[in-house]
Amino acid sequence: MKVEIIIYIYGAICISMIGFNIVYNLMLRRRDALFDKRTEKMRQGIRRQFQLIQKGEKTEKNHKKFLMKKLKRINYLIAYDNALQMEMKDQKAEVLEKYFSQIESVILFLAVRYSKKDKMEAGYFAFFLSEYAVNRKREMDSLLGLLLIYVKKDNLYCRVNGLKALYHLGDVENVITALKMQDDDRIYINQKILTEGLLTFQGNHDDLIHGLWKEFNRFTDHTKLAILNYIRFKTGDYKEEIYGIMTDEKADKELRLSAIRYFGKYVYPPALKWLLDFVNDHEPSHWEYVNVAVSSLSRYEGEEVIRALKGAIKSPNWYIRYSAAQGLEAHRLNYSELFDIINGEDRYAREMMTYRLEAKMLQETGGDNS
Amino acid sequence: MMDAYKTFFSYVGIFFVLYLIGYASFLFLSVAVGSATLYQTKRRNRLKNELAGDYFIPVSIIVPAYNEEVTIETSIRSLLALEYKLYEIIVVDDGSRDRTGEVVREAFHMHHVNRPIQRKIVCQPEEAVYETYTQKVPITLIQKRNGGKADALNMGINAAKYPYFICMDADSVLQYDALEKIMRPVLEEGNVVAVGGAVRPSNGAEIKNGHVVSYRMPDKLLPCMQVLEYDRSFLAARILFDKFNGSIIISGAFGLFKKSVVVDAGGYDATTMGEDMELVVKLHVFCREHNIPYRIRYATDAICWTQAPESLGDLRKQRRRWHIGLFQSMMGHRRMFANFKYGLVGFVSYLYFLIYELFSPYIEVFGVFTIILAFMVDLINVPFMILFFFIYVMYSSVLSLTAFFSRTHTIDLKLRISDVFKAIGLCAVEVSCLRFILAWTRAAALIGYKRKKQSWGSIERKKIEFK
Repeated sequence: MKVEIIIYIYGAICISMIGFNIVYNLMLRRRDALFDKRTEKMRQGIRRQFQLIQKGEKTEKNHKKFLMKKLKRINYLIAYDNALQMEMKDQKAEVLEKYFSQIESVILFLAVRYSKKDKMEAGYFAFFLSEYAVNRKREMDSLLGLLLIYVKKDNLYCRVNGLKALYHLGDVENVITALKMQDDDRIYINQKILTEGLLTFQGNHDDLIHGLWKEFNRFTDHTKLAILNYIRFKTGDYKEEIYGIMTDEKADKELRLSAIRYFGKYVYPPALKWLLDFVNDHEPSHWEYVNVAVSSLSRYEGEEVIRALKGAIKSPNWYIRYSAAQGLEAHRLNYSELFDIINGEDRYAREMMTYRLEAKMLQETGGDNS
Repeated sequence: MMDAYKTFFSYVGIFFVLYLIGYASFLFLSVAVGSATLYQTKRRNRLKNELAGDYFIPVSIIVPAYNEEVTIETSIRSLLALEYKLYEIIVVDDGSRDRTGEVVREAFHMHHVNRPIQRKIVCQPEEAVYETYTQKVPITLIQKRNGGKADALNMGINAAKYPYFICMDADSVLQYDALEKIMRPVLEEGNVVAVGGAVRPSNGAEIKNGHVVSYRMPDKLLPCMQVLEYDRSFLAARILFDKFNGSIIISGAFGLFKKSVVVDAGGYDATTMGEDMELVVKLHVFCREHNIPYRIRYATDAICWTQAPESLGDLRKQRRRWHIGLFQSMMGHRRMFANFKYGLVGFVSYLYFLIYELFSPYIEVFGVFTIILAFMVDLINVPFMILFFFIYVMYSSVLSLTAFFSRTHTIDLKLRISDVFKAIGLCAVEVSCLRFILAWTRAAALIGYKRKKQSWGSIERKKIEFK
């Protein structure tokens, strides 16, 4: 067996790796210098265009030609992005608005080019759009259509950046279409990313929520949950609709929990009966419903609410006891009203209530009065 | 008799040829894949293919501490400098004999509270709980009866409020973006149950508010060699295992876990010395046996800076602990060995750790004795042996340097020319000398190990330079 041959082959490959490292290092140094040079050139060009716009003139044709020619290459696009960031700092919004409006043909041209490039470069272009696309819906119709191509790409970052750009452009229909597309493709996008993304939408949120609600049932539970959470953060106008989800025993557990949280944020008297029913459910496997319902009761008034919370603090489940103590504390009951808990026989309830009161005081005073 | 020797040596020769081909192939593959991944990650980040934004999943940071009065305050201050919004810090003082608890209480103005802690996982009882809300995030100090690091971590899990927790060492410092980076795999994939962070020796690095402001190879030779060893053995191998969901170790210095799965799996095993590895192996077993889809990931850019031992005695103590931990984890989950049920984890990861980590010191020491024996009976070709050793040193050195340069290039660390020469010079010493000293240490580690279980490793602590 010629073992040495194998070892020599490995050695040769490793030495070429070292060679690659040295060459790469040298290239990196050269690239940094080149990048600075390109950025400076771009800055000068952008600055000149801003000055022209301030004088009431239009951007130069040569500038657009230059951008069309150079920005097809990713390294130039990165330099342009960098130059824009530097030049935009002290610039008025209206100048920027006019500048982007006048180079729209360049952006459209690039959008087509980058949609055909590799996933990472396409992802970068989508990021670029999300950074600079302002609310110019009417002028950017073609771009909106193109962005959907990015949202459909088999690359999480490209999708997220594409969605981000769509949120920034503020067009309701395209955002809904994009959400439907990602939902149909079943490519995983964390529910938190979807919710946080929707919250950055630059258009009219009421219209978006209205549109999403109309299509709500066609989404998977994963996307439905993101939409429900988004609605919870934005508006209390969907109580009736969300009440339907909370009371639907066949609905997905996470959706129902989100619906219960909705009524913790927005008081809705008809929901109270359901919340109390959840709290009084002693089936151990339903503890999550009980826990979220207990948390949601903080904003509801009335003796039956206090009674339910006092019952919940005696639950064998630690989380429910904790939430109930928080709920009781949120109702700002005085010592005599909590006497039966603090001096009661249930040691676990007593400890939890005492702790919550101590923690609350620490949070409010930093411990100065303790 | 001579014929018997010859037969013996020819079998030994065949064994070592196969062993070395396996090792060389693995090392080559891991460094090649590791380097390629690092360069790809750099390109990905440069092209903004990342989840930048306010996607903050709440996380509890658990800092188990035992006799850490020298480092604990700096360590917590470094955690407060993290660029992340939703987290809490839980310090578990495992019955320290020094002023660890007092230092934390005084430095962060903590107050005693009667906090009930749920016992989801069995652990030694708490003696006192302190809290403060005056800092950027809530800090909890739990002083408990001594039970070992795993027991302290279990207490931390019991007290954690958030769905994910980070375990880390009290003498480590997280880079400013470490939390965001380690959470990224959780956002990228729906079924991630654990993520390992990249642990790097902090010796030689100057860290300001979690940012590395200057990086040099450490002055002392021993930590310097460990820097090279970390890159070759840990960084590269873990990236390779990550490719097929085969990581079976997440360093106790920095790892992220999904709390509910860890609780269901039973938490850390307080009877083992290698609780970090044991937990990850246990998670593989638990998820596979319960048909839970899962991923255990490795985040190369989530960085934790830790103090590498500066004396040979401390380094040997550390490696002895690691080896005992490895032995306990491997033995405790031996049913994984070549078991189809555990897929590539059982066939590749377990087998690799068994042969090239657990048995390797014995094989290497056996090799040295065989050489001596062969020399005594005049059955060794000395020039060939020297040539073979030279090739081995060259080969390992080249791979160490490849991994080292790939890492430094891809995170834009600017090395001085003296550091480059230091790395080139020391990589040969590391593979030819330090490796054999540590092989001997690891080979002897299991002698009397049962007496040492549950104890904390005591390595000399130096104040962390965190500005």
